Amino acid sequence: MILQIEAKKCKRTGFLPAVLLAACAASAFPILNMLVRAETFTAMAGTPFDILTDANWQMMAMLNMVLVICGACLMYHTEFADNGIQKMDVLPVRAGSLFFGKFVLLVLALCGMLLLETAVLTGCAAHWFPAYTWTFSETLQSAGFQLILTLPTVMLMLWVASACKNMWVSLGIGVILVFVMTILPQDSTVLQLFPFNTPYKTLATVQGAGDVPLFLGICGAETVAFGLFEFVFLQIRRWYA
Amino acid sequence: MSFCSLLSIEFLKLKRSKIGLLLLAPVVMMWVPSVLNADMNFDTRGIAIAPEYNFFIQGFMGMVWFMLPASLVICTVLLTQTERANKGLLKMLSLPVSPAKLCLVKFLILLLLAVAQLGMTICAYYISAAAASHIQGYDFLLDPLFVLRVAACLYAGAIPMAAVFWMLATLVRTPIFSVGIGLASIVPSVLVLNTKIWFLYPMSYPFYLLMTEYGKAAPGVYETQVQWLPWLPVAVGITILALAIAALRFGATERRA
Repeated sequence: MILQIEAKKCKRTGFLPAVLLAACAASAFPILNMLVRAETFTAMAGTPFDILTDANWQMMAMLNMVLVICGACLMYHTEFADNGIQKMDVLPVRAGSLFFGKFVLLVLALCGMLLLETAVLTGCAAHWFPAYTWTFSETLQSAGFQLILTLPTVMLMLWVASACKNMWVSLGIGVILVFVMTILPQDSTVLQLFPFNTPYKTLATVQGAGDVPLFLGICGAETVAFGLFEFVFLQIRRWYA
Repeated sequence: MSFCSLLSIEFLKLKRSKIGLLLLAPVVMMWVPSVLNADMNFDTRGIAIAPEYNFFIQGFMGMVWFMLPASLVICTVLLTQTERANKGLLKMLSLPVSPAKLCLVKFLILLLLAVAQLGMTICAYYISAAAASHIQGYDFLLDPLFVLRVAACLYAGAIPMAAVFWMLATLVRTPIFSVGIGLASIVPSVLVLNTKIWFLYPMSYPFYLLMTEYGKAAPGVYETQVQWLPWLPVAVGITILALAIAALRFGATERRA
């Protein structure tokens, strides 16, 4: 029910076209890269899929995060713009369900994006590396891993968007977080597990270091923790509103 | 209404927007790690560059590549959304003020906010360079005239980009698209800089200027001279075109409604 309402709210905000455009823009990176300098990559040693993700994933992940930030800001902007959130407060709806409806919607959008992006990466690998045989489960595994690694970012960004009434404040915080994570030195494992930093990791590099359970566990825990934090935050805000 | 009084009114509107904090936060976050890791400036990885120049350029690089454009996008959101809440722009348009003038005043505010952030960056640079000098026992401070000249160049290089972002913000009413296009255009700017048609892409101008400074400080890293010729006319053309479109279409949806 709540999901239907949230989807309806996003109807004329351009959320769906934005997701599609972002997915297409992100998928264009590997294709353009291969069209321009295919020889550089085909000469490299290693699994074709890993070569392509190494070369392109940084920028694709950044685009995904830009979409998550914009999407979260937009979803709460529609609530705050004409005091919609106050009206939601008087309805017999739990305050948290609004948040989780938006969360599920954003995660579904992200799911679609990641599936398209990994499919394009696999397609590029299959097209330019004739010896490469791809398996369906590998592609799905990679997409699923990226999704779980991006979940804490989605949760944290939605919390920021729900906490700030003005869109430029939440947008600014999101952008600043992305910026800070890109300039911090990447040598400590603790820093790498921060939200806004995990989406850059690829399955191959994490597997190489043998940290897959660690990353999945911490990202899952972070997601749950931020979700609980939002619950507490909503309660506190109600008391002081 | 005169240009100056319009400007002062626009400043009043920014009063409680917390934009100062949003501009300051990335500046502080940028310099803290570079003070803590100041010893890394001595390890130049085979590039012939003096540590003080390395400190300056590495510090400014993240700022110019990502945060300067992103701050401009955030400021355009601020400038458009403060007017849209409670139909502010509709009220402004009913006053005897030329919409084009109003649009240009808002663009000037956008540039002034960028200048404010650049000023903060320079102050933060001197504070952190002094701190790093104290910790490392090496003089990281550069000549203020050099720093000011480079900062002024970077800022001037950001004007065409600001004009394009401002045009996007006035043309595209749906915030997700104007913001999304703006932020997404930052991502490939370094890639575009490596192609031959970089001068057509305003988002890569400030980074190009910083890279030429890098080339001057460390021979062989990048070009040492700015290629003015195809670039300058194109940049001026893009700026004028973007501002003209923004001025013509400013408040179009409000007037139609």
